[in-house]
Amino acid sequence: MTSTVDTPADATRPAPPSGLLTVARAPGWVRYALLAAGLIAALWLPNGLYPAVAVDILCWALFAVAVDLLLGFTGLMSFGHAAFWGASAYVTGLVAIHAGLPFPAAVLAGALAAAVLAVPIGYLAVKRTGIYFAMVTLAFAQMVYYVANEWRSVTRGENGLQGVPRSLFGLDLSDDYYFYYAMLPIVLLGLAAAWRIVHSPFGRVLVGIRDNPARARALGYPVHRYKLTAFVLSGFIAGLGGGLFAVGHRFVSLDVLHWTTSGKAVVVVVLGGIGTLWGGVLGAALVVRLEDWLSFSNFEAIGLVTGGIFVLVVLLFRRGIWGSAEALARRWWTSRKR
Amino acid sequence: MRRTVGVAAASAVVVFAAGCGGGGPQSGGDQKLTGDKIVLGVLNDQSGAYSELSGRNSVTAVEMAVADFKAKYGDRAVTKNITVETADHQNKPDIANTKAAEMYDRKGVDLILDVPTSSAALKVADVAKEKKKLYFNIGAATTDLTGKSCNKYTFHYAYDTYMLANGTGTVTTEQVGKNWYILYPNYAFGQDMEKSFSAAITAAGGKVVGKDGAPFPNTSGDFSTFLLKAPTLNPKPDVLGTMQAGAELVNVVKQYNEFKLRDKGVGLAVGLMFITDIHSLTPAALAGTTYTDAWYWNFDEQNRAFADRFQSETGTRPSFAHAANYSAALQYLEAVQAAGTDDADTIVKGLEGKEVNDVFLRNGKIRAEDHRVIHDAYLAQVKPQSEVTEPWDYVKVLETIPAAEAFAAPSPDCTL
Amino acid sequence: MTGFLQNTFNGLVSGAFYALLALGLAVIFGMLRVVNFAHGAFYMLGAFGAYVLLTEAGVPFWAALVIVPVGLGLLGMALERAFIHRLTRLDPLYNFLLTFGLTLILQDLVKLRYGVQSSPYATPSALGGSVNLGLFDFPTYRVFILGFAVLVCVAVWWLLSHTRLGMVVRAATERPELTRAFGINVGRWVTPVFGFGIGLAGLAGVLAAPMRAVNPLMGADLIIVVFAVVVIGGLGSIFGSVAAGFGIGLVQAWGEAYLSDFPIVSQTVVFVVMAVVLLWRPAGLFGREEAPA
Repeated sequence: MTSTVDTPADATRPAPPSGLLTVARAPGWVRYALLAAGLIAALWLPNGLYPAVAVDILCWALFAVAVDLLLGFTGLMSFGHAAFWGASAYVTGLVAIHAGLPFPAAVLAGALAAAVLAVPIGYLAVKRTGIYFAMVTLAFAQMVYYVANEWRSVTRGENGLQGVPRSLFGLDLSDDYYFYYAMLPIVLLGLAAAWRIVHSPFGRVLVGIRDNPARARALGYPVHRYKLTAFVLSGFIAGLGGGLFAVGHRFVSLDVLHWTTSGKAVVVVVLGGIGTLWGGVLGAALVVRLEDWLSFSNFEAIGLVTGGIFVLVVLLFRRGIWGSAEALARRWWTSRKR
Repeated sequence: MRRTVGVAAASAVVVFAAGCGGGGPQSGGDQKLTGDKIVLGVLNDQSGAYSELSGRNSVTAVEMAVADFKAKYGDRAVTKNITVETADHQNKPDIANTKAAEMYDRKGVDLILDVPTSSAALKVADVAKEKKKLYFNIGAATTDLTGKSCNKYTFHYAYDTYMLANGTGTVTTEQVGKNWYILYPNYAFGQDMEKSFSAAITAAGGKVVGKDGAPFPNTSGDFSTFLLKAPTLNPKPDVLGTMQAGAELVNVVKQYNEFKLRDKGVGLAVGLMFITDIHSLTPAALAGTTYTDAWYWNFDEQNRAFADRFQSETGTRPSFAHAANYSAALQYLEAVQAAGTDDADTIVKGLEGKEVNDVFLRNGKIRAEDHRVIHDAYLAQVKPQSEVTEPWDYVKVLETIPAAEAFAAPSPDCTL
Repeated sequence: MTGFLQNTFNGLVSGAFYALLALGLAVIFGMLRVVNFAHGAFYMLGAFGAYVLLTEAGVPFWAALVIVPVGLGLLGMALERAFIHRLTRLDPLYNFLLTFGLTLILQDLVKLRYGVQSSPYATPSALGGSVNLGLFDFPTYRVFILGFAVLVCVAVWWLLSHTRLGMVVRAATERPELTRAFGINVGRWVTPVFGFGIGLAGLAGVLAAPMRAVNPLMGADLIIVVFAVVVIGGLGSIFGSVAAGFGIGLVQAWGEAYLSDFPIVSQTVVFVVMAVVLLWRPAGLFGREEAPA
């Protein structure tokens, strides 16, 4: 199992420092400044954008970070993460409708369900790596899609699950502007969890597995189990995003499970920068904003634009936006030091 | 043709005259319009599966309605400042949701039109209810819009599953054959259609000898299992009723012809078909097929005049969805004109129970009970290729189904 | 019995499309280690190619059957040189992503030009009738598709097993490192083989035009099933992909016919089979562990 396919990172990232290490190496004040800037941007967002669009951006940010956790830090590209995003959306919606719980509890239930679903899928999928892994996850997600499509008594099929409530201890959250601030803490917690995972000893083992699985195995790490754990955690975070998406839109439709949703998540991550974690957040903001703009733009070929941008990024800017900016900053920093 | 030119010229003169006479005081009552203007929003699929049967050309139809309204009232119009906003929901209900809210909140839209795809249509109905703004659905078929999901601000305009199934089921049973085999896509739309069809067939004295739900979406694109089964049933069905729509309908019809079911004495009736579907399958592939149409462009002089004008604007013939968008926009503007305000509650009051006739609505009535807009529907049959004399003139109307029979009675599930 | 045979026959016809598409994917993957996401889009282009030739130049089906695959093969070669080649030394995931982007672009280009409504394409008149297969009549066109697809698969097999080119491709597919270690120049065959695989997808598209709806999205969902098919057969295995293609076609048709109350079965059977195969033989039924993917 030591072919080129098993070690995806070597050729793609010429310089040894991965995104992870670079962040760790950046001087403290830079990191705190970036964190502060990010928080200010997050607090300002619904004032500058249509609040519903801002809500979508937050959901997709979680989704992208979840996918990047696998793609960037474990070397596994899931092309079927819509299964977790969508399963959580449905469970969240059902719990919110039938149990009348406050929305954070419903979202938590949804994310847990997504994590549970990730166990069998992950168990089968991590037997393969590289491109095989992508295809296998894609196929399983499609299976989940068909099951939801057929299971109409629960999912309401094509008509979608309408009327998901946004309850939170009697607060009126019907305005997206206020809902944005109500959901922001959950999103920040999810992002912080992802950051914590990446920077934990566990996360370092994952990166080790990504870069050289044979060595990790030789060192006695149960590689499959690590990958599966990462997969389930990623499913949970994607589930947080999907659950919030359901509450944000107050309904769930089959689209949340369609493979194009998985594809969009990967596009967001690649655009933002694989293995940068925060690149996904940036990518989510850009893609959601771009789609919003395109649908009012009288331009009929949305796929042409997103596909074209995506091809360009894959061909020319494989580090993505965050990765490229980071590389520039690093170059500037080192040249200044000299 | 001459008549259209005449109308167009007349409207041009009126508009021109109105322009020349400008500078005088605006007609009164403007204060009652929010922002001193009327904004119509067309929210539909402009890039996906429904983009040709409605899409961008529905926007053109709405613009035609605005032009006609301005020409008709000139200086007496409640305002001359009428604009049309549009957005592409890409058939995704989440995008429809955001766009609808954004249209009402930020673009000052008074009325949202069209919205195909049931899930998107139901979601936008929710938004309309919450924002207390008007919404005329045209593109979606689900009867839930006037059933358990109905609300005060939502009107369902052109068609629904009941209308499609009832007309075709009843008339085809009476005129073509009693025994049916029904093939439907196994999802909400297909199941609704199957139920309505079965009911109509039985009521008309026919019998459903077999029915099957085909997988939806059908990735293999193959329906041969069902098509082979049809002629072997006992008693042998006279009619195959297919509820598939769009590309799946195309697959079914292609394979129906491949297996030569018509030669084996099994006729074809289609649940939902648009003129664009006939165009893409060619009339030869569908000759003799019956279906219910909400409106047909070459039905009479009035329709034809509209269709000619539409063609000069868009280069193609209108589908019923285009005509319905035109009519919906026009009726809304008339209602605003009559009320002198764009306040949604006032307009709703004015519309409820109103009887209307225009190019699309024949013997039309806006029902107060559930906001279903009822009108005459038509049982159409595809002509054999030899009788097709001009492009897009593919069907003949066998029977006009009176408005009162075309649609179901108001649903008890609906409380506005 | 007759019904069973008819359903079996139809399953094989559906399987023929899977097999042709999976074969193309397998050949490309073998040579380039690229999983071509755009394979479904090229299938769609094949069908549109036939349509455009017929309506705009009056070229009949038979000629399209040759012209379209060759034309698409050339287009494929051009795309390989222009894009895919640049990424082959990187992780194969990048080419997967690249071809995903290409899929979106190709679909939209066709949509802009020809719209989303299905375009009409009639069955060639010589194949319009039906043939008697002993127990039952069967549309000639379906018999033709099945025969033709089997012929193509056999021809490809012969090409691979009896020519020098074939030996290189097979060796590179099944033992890539070893082949390179023997000093065989695999590189010069990469572009033609990519074109060949695309040509096969185009061929499947032309064959589909008379019996399937020809529209820009016709390959979009199909490709996912074909992915599962090649995973079942074993990505590196040429025989495996063909066998799995026909096999899945059969299982789907039987599921549809005999479990019609449970449409979920025929929709998901391919994925369930894939899960079982992964548990039991992670490299696929005919795949080899030495050529992991």
